[in-house]
Amino acid sequence: MVKELEYKKIKTEKNFFFKYQNYLSYIIGLFLAIIVFSVTLLLLGYDPINALLSIPTGAFGRLDNISATLIRFIPLLLTALAFLIALKARFMNLGIEGQLYIGALLAYLVGARMEMVPSFIAIPLVIIVGFIGGVLWLAIPLIMKTKLGVNEIFSTVVMNFIAIIIISWLTVGPLKDPGSLLPRTPFLPESTWMPKIDPQYRLHVGIFLVVIIALILYIILNKTTIGYKIRAVGQNPRASEHGGVDVTRVVITAGLLSGGIAGLAGFMEVFGVHHYLFGGFSPGFGYIGIAVAALGMFHPIGVIFTAFFFAVLQIGGTYMQQSAGISIDIIFIMQAVLVLTVLIVQKWMTTRNSS
Amino acid sequence: MTDIITSIIAGGVLLSVTILFVSIGEIYNERAGVINLGLEAIITLSAFVGLWVTFKTGNFFLGTLAAIVAGAGVGLIHSFTCVKMRVNQLIAGLLILSLANGLANFLNFTANQETVPIVTILPNIYIPFLSDIPVLGEILFQHNLFVYLAYFLAIVFGLILYKTSWGLKIRAVGENPEACDAAGINVNLIRHLCDIFSGAMAGLAGAFIALGDLGLFDSSMAGNRGWIAIVVVIFSRWSPFRAILGSMLFGIGFSIAANLIGAGIITSYWIYLINAMPYIVALVVIVLFRGTTKAPAALTVPYWRK
Repeated sequence: MVKELEYKKIKTEKNFFFKYQNYLSYIIGLFLAIIVFSVTLLLLGYDPINALLSIPTGAFGRLDNISATLIRFIPLLLTALAFLIALKARFMNLGIEGQLYIGALLAYLVGARMEMVPSFIAIPLVIIVGFIGGVLWLAIPLIMKTKLGVNEIFSTVVMNFIAIIIISWLTVGPLKDPGSLLPRTPFLPESTWMPKIDPQYRLHVGIFLVVIIALILYIILNKTTIGYKIRAVGQNPRASEHGGVDVTRVVITAGLLSGGIAGLAGFMEVFGVHHYLFGGFSPGFGYIGIAVAALGMFHPIGVIFTAFFFAVLQIGGTYMQQSAGISIDIIFIMQAVLVLTVLIVQKWMTTRNSS
Repeated sequence: MTDIITSIIAGGVLLSVTILFVSIGEIYNERAGVINLGLEAIITLSAFVGLWVTFKTGNFFLGTLAAIVAGAGVGLIHSFTCVKMRVNQLIAGLLILSLANGLANFLNFTANQETVPIVTILPNIYIPFLSDIPVLGEILFQHNLFVYLAYFLAIVFGLILYKTSWGLKIRAVGENPEACDAAGINVNLIRHLCDIFSGAMAGLAGAFIALGDLGLFDSSMAGNRGWIAIVVVIFSRWSPFRAILGSMLFGIGFSIAANLIGAGIITSYWIYLINAMPYIVALVVIVLFRGTTKAPAALTVPYWRK
């Protein structure tokens, strides 16, 4: 019976793109999100049709906007991947926000000393350091979980707050750019900046890197032994332990991948977009990434689409705020309604079918 | 020096109130087997609702009521998602977090285009005789109604949880839902009610910040205290009585940072790091309390008849 169930589960995962229920849940979710959006705006006396149409205009209207959308896509995809890889091994990494900041910080500390180093050495090096930064910040909750059995949900959240305080302290104090009135660091040397695809636009080569990372994660999860072990531990830790899997080691592997990818998200923002470090460079990417991952059904390829969709909504929403004076927060409401509805509908359909 | 210490502790009492309100509700919720990670944002949302209603009507009572209803409403969305539809509680909680945060900021943005709502905060009540005690009086007996209410509710809900059959049912539902169901208790009804209750308590906390502490809205006014309340739940080992102590501990922790920076005792930017202290204490709490205590056995596990 148990075997049959597990077989069924694996089979449904493979048929992810062919199940009509999934598409139906997205349609219902989108429908409800648009209803909430329109009714809220109507009640407040705005024109919902115009507001809705300004989203695609803002996201794709000109090449500038497309570049902004793709730049926003980068951290959203990375944080979603970071969350889902840990979740596959039953590790709830809610600390992506902190790992992102510390990854950016460590990469900044190394990158700032690289004035004389040519780009082809400096850039790969800071990428690796960014990855390591995220890993280090996750290592504390990870060790606490695997060695002491401390629940990771709270430890990872608390680590976020500590990370944000450290960054704010450094950018106010020791690392502050003396030439600036704002609490931020000096610019990084240009040799460490992520190269732009076209000098006119801000979009940088990180866009290719993140899609490759998503594909690599897909391959790791579905085609390798460690991926198989991660999924086995995620589905049933006790059974995998009996089956001879070193559960601790698997959780650590998945966790370190997760922290590292989160660190890369911070790296991409600082080295690809801002080129200096400051306190609030992440508007909660770590938390939004969880919604992106949930909407993509925790599938490494699925989240490419959902991260892109979220990026469109957010950049379009920024444009909507500027052009129509409607707060971008309506976009966050819409996103939450969409993901909640999709999760509810999917759950409802699977339980209805199985019982 | 005594001045500073008195103001640290008195400030700590004030800061602990939010944590205490939220943790009482969350204790009930977790005792029944549900965890809501969206509390931080529920505080923010209900703070705005409370502030706005008070601003429009000039009535603190109506504002507080509106804040509680807003909190309970968000709690209802969470309980529908997790208890009725059995979506993962943690992920649903985080989505509720962004939903309520978005709603709070959206309403604030929209309201600010007309006017910026500001209210005068509730006056302090000086308890006769007790407030005249030299240091202790200032610390404990010179606060507004919300502060006394928080401690009162902690004791009342502690008694309900441990001394009444309602409390017994709540505790049982979180430990062994199957047995409760067999005994004729409506497991999911109790979970719904507890989840809504925890939202309502977060709403009360929001009303306190808006009407009893700040008198205006700021999107970060919850100050991570909703998250800390969830750690206090662990610290208090799921008891409302011990939550008083736990919320005091963290309230004073936050207050030390605020007072030392505010008083300008240490002007170096190193002082900034003191802000991290409550969180480091929180980490220590999580580590120390991992083995000595047991969370409700059915926490985060949805229940349905198989």
